[in-house]
Amino acid sequence: MEASDLTGHISRRFNKDIEDLRGKVLTMGGVVEAQLARAISAIVSGDSELGLQVAHDDYKVNDLEVSIDEECSRILAIRAPAAGDLRLIVAIIKTITDLERIGDEAEKIGFLASKLAGMDRPSDSYRELKTLGTHVSHMLRDAMNAFARLDVTESFEVLREDERVDEEYEAIQRQCITFMMEDPRSIKRVMNVTWAARSLERIGDHAKNICEYVIYMVQGRDVRHTGISDAAELDAEKDL
Amino acid sequence: MPGSRRKFIVGLVLFLAAGAVIGSLYSRAGLGLLVAASLALIWQVRQLLSFNRGLRTGDFDSFRYGEGIWQQMFSRFSYEHERGARYKRQYHQVIKEVQKSTNAMPDGAVILNDLNEIVICNRAAKTLAGLKRKKDRGQRVDNILRDPGLTTLLETNDATQTVDIPSPVRDNEWLNCRVVPYGVSQKLLLLRDVTERILLNRMRRDFVANASHELRSPLTVMSGYLDTMAEDEALPKTWQQPVRQMQRQARRMTEIVSELLELSRLEGSGSASTDDVVDVAGLLVAARNACEGQSDGPVIHVQVESTAQLRGNSGEIESVIANLLSNALRHTPQDGEVTLRWTSGSDGAEIVVRDTGEGVAEEHISRLTERFFRVDRGRSRDDGGVGLGLAIVKHVLGRHEASLHITSELGTGSEFRCHFPPQRVVVEAPMLLTDHAQNS
Repeated sequence: MEASDLTGHISRRFNKDIEDLRGKVLTMGGVVEAQLARAISAIVSGDSELGLQVAHDDYKVNDLEVSIDEECSRILAIRAPAAGDLRLIVAIIKTITDLERIGDEAEKIGFLASKLAGMDRPSDSYRELKTLGTHVSHMLRDAMNAFARLDVTESFEVLREDERVDEEYEAIQRQCITFMMEDPRSIKRVMNVTWAARSLERIGDHAKNICEYVIYMVQGRDVRHTGISDAAELDAEKDL
Repeated sequence: MPGSRRKFIVGLVLFLAAGAVIGSLYSRAGLGLLVAASLALIWQVRQLLSFNRGLRTGDFDSFRYGEGIWQQMFSRFSYEHERGARYKRQYHQVIKEVQKSTNAMPDGAVILNDLNEIVICNRAAKTLAGLKRKKDRGQRVDNILRDPGLTTLLETNDATQTVDIPSPVRDNEWLNCRVVPYGVSQKLLLLRDVTERILLNRMRRDFVANASHELRSPLTVMSGYLDTMAEDEALPKTWQQPVRQMQRQARRMTEIVSELLELSRLEGSGSASTDDVVDVAGLLVAARNACEGQSDGPVIHVQVESTAQLRGNSGEIESVIANLLSNALRHTPQDGEVTLRWTSGSDGAEIVVRDTGEGVAEEHISRLTERFFRVDRGRSRDDGGVGLGLAIVKHVLGRHEASLHITSELGTGSEFRCHFPPQRVVVEAPMLLTDHAQNS
């Protein structure tokens, strides 16, 4: 299914409705991406004001979610879409839930950033969080690109990427435990770092979910809970 | 052509007539006419078929020469055909050249239609913004470049505005976007790599912030000792004057450093939040009360002509008022007047600070908001001004989308007007609190 396939309707209004809806979801994606980028930069540069601002701006994401949700119900009620259109609407309803959760995680990271800014900073100024954060924001970016381009190949790449993020998260956790054992006074600070890493890891999972919806939307195939290798195998079979 | 038409008709009529005449020789004129007509028809059909063949194979050579109407038609057609093909080749060449030159441009260019869908983009747009030239055709551009700033820019569709967005392809790189409308409803989106500019700016800001920060600790130590020394009764009389002067200068330096830090903080932050509401009238009155208590300077009037309130940062607006007021007091003689006014209208609201002081010469007005700019280098060092006040005012106003207008006349006084746009002004009593509770 190509992007242009979506616009093959007799009713022009329906085309426009669907294109607008897709555009709105991607706008929401853009806001969430910006929130995540700012949250990461707040934590890395120790900017408490920026962190609080990120936490405060989360309402924008929530507002968008509510309005897109309404729009989806409206289209379902009026147009009663079938096949590809129905899959698109279903995928959108799920995608925005995940995007909203990502927004919430970014809000949490913002709060943690403002807390961490007031404590001593390690000499590497949270390099490992930065690496994980960059990794995760790339995943989110690729997931949204896959959504925009209905690109199954890119979706599978994001699914694979999530395993690496999980590994990185493991490593950070282990490192944090070492720190806490070495110096119990740092527990309070390191706990916050762990929470931030946890939030980032969750964002990776949500990005993965979005890609699964993209695959569902394009191929009508549910690859959730199948494990990445099975899903990829199915994909390869389909290509043959 | 008309000649050949006549020839054709005359030829046909003569041929038919000849058929009839030959037929009448055998007293079968009708049959002769019929035979002649059939022969003419067969000949025409043959020509038609070979023309068709010529069209299919593109080979018109067999008809090129000759006098008859078919030959003329064929040669005319083949001439037009060749000319068309030649033009097409030329146009193709031109288009190729244009494409080559747009691809050679270092800046990304994307042509958009009225729905912001990508019509075509050049190679730089691909490398800078990660657009896929074939796949993204027909895709809305803000589906791929999803930065909220760009989305707003596409909505406002104003060629004078630009926005810097982080590169969607590489980390720590920045793109400057500009949307230029043209034609009926088309737009050109220009993307430029401005990473270097942003990094330079950041470096300069960090340098100022770090330098001020480093200066702070030695200053604190020095002024601490100076304070103790000044209060020491045993201090020799000859030292009292110098110590007091050192104390004063140290205080001044502390002020400069903290204002520099404040400036670099303001520069580093984006637009001020619109969620808090500032009571400007109250701030004006408070500023007057603070200054009147201090000294016997000029009279300060406060004219509150509006109940409107301002969306923004209260502390920053307060510092704007304090800076403008202290400037006005410093440049106004004791018998002069300083007026603070707060007005609002349909096009926004204004804080106006007017004095009856010495005024500023025309040529200096545009430079007033520069850092450490002084109209009179020799004079104004001792009057307490640091030289950063108006720079801070300008930055705070920038953060509130407001503008500063200065009018002044030598000898009669100056007027500083801070104009805030309507979206920053709350006219009614704020219903904002309940609104906000729903949102979060």
